[in-house]
Amino acid sequence: MNQNAKHTVELAKALFREERSIKKLTGWFRIRETAAREEQKYRSLSAERATAALLREELTALPLSISENAVFAGTQRDAFARTYALINPSFRVETFAGYCDPTAVFGDIDPDEEFPKERIEKLRQYTLNTPYVRELTAMYKAAESYTGEVIYFVEQVTGHLIPEFGTALQYGTLDLIRTAKEKAAAETDPERADNLLAFADALDCAGLLADRYRAIAAQKQAAAEKTGDAEKASRFGRIAAALTRVPRYGARDLYEAIQSFMILWEIMCIEQAPNPYAFSVGNADRIFEPYRHGLSREDAAALFCHFLVFFNVADRSWAISQNLLVGGRDIDGNDLTNPTSYSLLDAYYEMNLPQPILSVKLHKNTPDRLYAELGRFFFSPGVLTPSLFNDDSLFTILAEKGVAPEDIEAASVAGCQEPLIRGKDNANTTNSWLNLGKILELTLTGGVSTVTGKKLCDFEKIPAKDLLPRLREQFYKNMETAVGWMVDSANGASRALSHLRVPFLSSFMGGLDYGYDTRDTDRQGTKYNGSGCLIHGLSVVADSFVAVDHLLRERPEDADRLLDALRTDFKDDPELREYLLSCPKFGNNLPEPDQEAAEIANRVSDMVNRSLNYLGNPFRADWSSPTTHLTYGYWVGAMPSGRKSRDMLNYGVDPLYGSAESGLGMRMLSNMQLPFCKMCGGYASHLGIDPKYFPAPDFEGKGLQFKERVIEPLFFNPAVKGVSPFYLYVNVTTPETLRKLLKNPKKYAPSGVYIVRIHGTFVNFLDLSPDVQEDIIRRLDPASTADIGA
Amino acid sequence: MDRKTLVYFQKGFNFSQDGPGNRLVYHLYGCNLRCPWCSNPECFAKDAKTQTQSVEEIADEILRSRPMFFSGGGVTFTGGEPTLQFDALRELLQILKKEGVHTALENNGTHPRLPELFPFLDYLITDLKHPFSEEHRRITGAGNETILSNLRAAAETRQLALRIPLIHGYNTSPACVAGFVSFLSSLPRRPDFTLELLRYHEYGRVKWERHGMPYRVSGGFVSPEEFSAIRGAFLGAGIPLINT
Repeated sequence: MNQNAKHTVELAKALFREERSIKKLTGWFRIRETAAREEQKYRSLSAERATAALLREELTALPLSISENAVFAGTQRDAFARTYALINPSFRVETFAGYCDPTAVFGDIDPDEEFPKERIEKLRQYTLNTPYVRELTAMYKAAESYTGEVIYFVEQVTGHLIPEFGTALQYGTLDLIRTAKEKAAAETDPERADNLLAFADALDCAGLLADRYRAIAAQKQAAAEKTGDAEKASRFGRIAAALTRVPRYGARDLYEAIQSFMILWEIMCIEQAPNPYAFSVGNADRIFEPYRHGLSREDAAALFCHFLVFFNVADRSWAISQNLLVGGRDIDGNDLTNPTSYSLLDAYYEMNLPQPILSVKLHKNTPDRLYAELGRFFFSPGVLTPSLFNDDSLFTILAEKGVAPEDIEAASVAGCQEPLIRGKDNANTTNSWLNLGKILELTLTGGVSTVTGKKLCDFEKIPAKDLLPRLREQFYKNMETAVGWMVDSANGASRALSHLRVPFLSSFMGGLDYGYDTRDTDRQGTKYNGSGCLIHGLSVVADSFVAVDHLLRERPEDADRLLDALRTDFKDDPELREYLLSCPKFGNNLPEPDQEAAEIANRVSDMVNRSLNYLGNPFRADWSSPTTHLTYGYWVGAMPSGRKSRDMLNYGVDPLYGSAESGLGMRMLSNMQLPFCKMCGGYASHLGIDPKYFPAPDFEGKGLQFKERVIEPLFFNPAVKGVSPFYLYVNVTTPETLRKLLKNPKKYAPSGVYIVRIHGTFVNFLDLSPDVQEDIIRRLDPASTADIGA
Repeated sequence: MDRKTLVYFQKGFNFSQDGPGNRLVYHLYGCNLRCPWCSNPECFAKDAKTQTQSVEEIADEILRSRPMFFSGGGVTFTGGEPTLQFDALRELLQILKKEGVHTALENNGTHPRLPELFPFLDYLITDLKHPFSEEHRRITGAGNETILSNLRAAAETRQLALRIPLIHGYNTSPACVAGFVSFLSSLPRRPDFTLELLRYHEYGRVKWERHGMPYRVSGGFVSPEEFSAIRGAFLGAGIPLINT
């Protein structure tokens, strides 16, 4: 590595260390406080214009700084609170509350002299009385008997989008502002005209933030010149110079493009503070490659090291689930990997940070070089591993969903693994969450929880001997009912959130074309729109149906006994539980449970996909469970599969841990039979793989073996009919390795960072709460993934 | 007509260890030899967990596993000694051959009718544990005449992967090595014939103990120097070696 690049990387590492030392996050509070204080001033304006005006006030009042180690100006720190449950050591699965309290975040600031209790309480009270919170609270109140034990769950979705910053990087925000104003002037609809002017006002904030940072950089440059520190003077001089140009005008090189991007991203997050999780960059290699202009791989990688640090917030990288993608194909199947893809990979490997998530898009013509270069990620212990996407399948699914051919290659992911079109798709990802396990429990009892004994809903009560033979029919009937309740609540959450306008973000989500806010629930402001529904418990329910069939066939006299055993969590009937556990289970390449799982996935996906959201667009079936298989499992009683009450549900479309015991090959065969074509909202699947399965002597060779032994058979298998799987994440490690790490972190992770995959995101294993650490270890599940030769 | 069944004690995929590519491997129960170094002693342990399935059921399972037969893979029957279940195995291999599944058999070469299976096999893996019959009988419980004649027949007609397990104190003396070399030099040499020398390991020890059977090999490891000398003897006689 050349000296310049080496120094730049060292600065990035110092910057990250500095970020991790931050224990207090108060920027979001100041932002909301400014908005509350200034709101009166803009009461006469429309909601959209007022929001844009308040964004300017917030950015004017916010204290800013540039680190001594910075190469670029900008931070996301002010948009986030120390909140996210999974990386909060006090998180326990039993703490799930059945609702999202939008004021709970005020509990995340420890009162001190600057932020005394009264100041925090005042803003909390103000927030409680906003139309957004009032409406959201009323929605939760109406749904509480359904959401309390998670028949379903809903939430208001912030973040979770992929802005199209490409035009702004190329032409500058002034060009976008001009466009917005011209369109407003020509617009006959007064609401659209007003919105377009709001977008122009919001975009103008980019210049404001750039100016403020430029002034700080210039001061630092002058101070460095005074002390004769030429390196620092030059570095801050470069920041100041870049900010005189971007983001107002188009970027001329990679440095300016990254700086421009960071300013835009910062404002986008501040607009939604606190906690706009899961915004996604999209294909960063495609976004930045036009600006590389022959910059060497290592010089570009050094700049990207700083870009990656930008996505890490404070001591635990609290801004979680931000995605950055590389690779993929165009609509004709040509590979779109470029030199910037490899520079980004170098930066990821060099820095090994908990954020942002790296996702790699693959297709059947992906060059071997990419697989070879990925080897180092999969096979270095404690190093991040990318999520893997199959563009070939994804393109088919998106085309079937109605995405225009010219938009498909911009498919990216926001959140964990939910596919969206960059800048053109508001999928309301994570809007609703459906719990198949709970619905089966309540079907068996006529609506009474076996966990708490409470009557939760009015499902028909049928005696066991009549119910069990037609359990499926009754389950699907109740499922239709529950989906109806869920849709009403989910749309209610979206309507409540629409009170919080986002004119800045909307400018990058099609707002300049459509003239509406991307959150508008009455008029569509983004080309594609839907609502994501995360569906939980596939294999647990499939295994339950199969076990009931076997019981009725082999021990019909025990039908009544089953319901008693479920009610008491098998306490008095361990023998029956043993029998149920011995029935065939999904994940072992056995036709009975595999076909059952496919049928459930088909029917439930259809129910979800034909439900309509607030704009009349379909919900999107998303078979993911981002650790909610733990929290929701806690509220699901004993199942006919033999699963005990409060135990976890299966993860995503995977078998329940411990129930697939025939090795990786058999598990992959079961997985391949699922109807991925119906999973247009996404799905989750994880393999914990023993590194011994890849014996090549070097990383490159192992990367190619990973392609041959995992990716090609799963994603690009000519023997598979229909749409192949399109998502996978892996942890190439063993339970023993992680237990050793927990016992002796100083020995096995001297840096304090040991990255593992948890679901759609990767995290520092040592940052996780104990419950989640244990979940990861259990789901490595060697019997389901280690083949006999491994 | 009787439904033929097969009894196995383990099944699952592995890659390139028991034949080319990714393979579904069935370990069939039962063995007529008692090699002291056996790494799968559950094949004759009385308390082994076994599963019995009909030929048709196993054929169905193999056919629906086809998507995982990548990189030239297929199915391998090993053991135990798979030819102890000869009739059912032959019927299954016939079905698989007809369906175009790549088939491999790993066996000890003792079954007198082994050549009857050749038309249904793409790949034959056989062990040769000792070149001299009396010693072979003393160590494993059976002589090697049939093994040698089956190996000769196989070498003449099909792809043969021969493996010699090297266990110090049993079959690594210069006289033994000379006996191996002499026999192999007398075989017709097809271009796809391969020979692999397997150095002793103790992976089986824990399984013997788990099944309450004493593990009797001690000092079986082959030193790097001894292994190098043995390799040299084969290579010097123009017998190429492979290493999987």
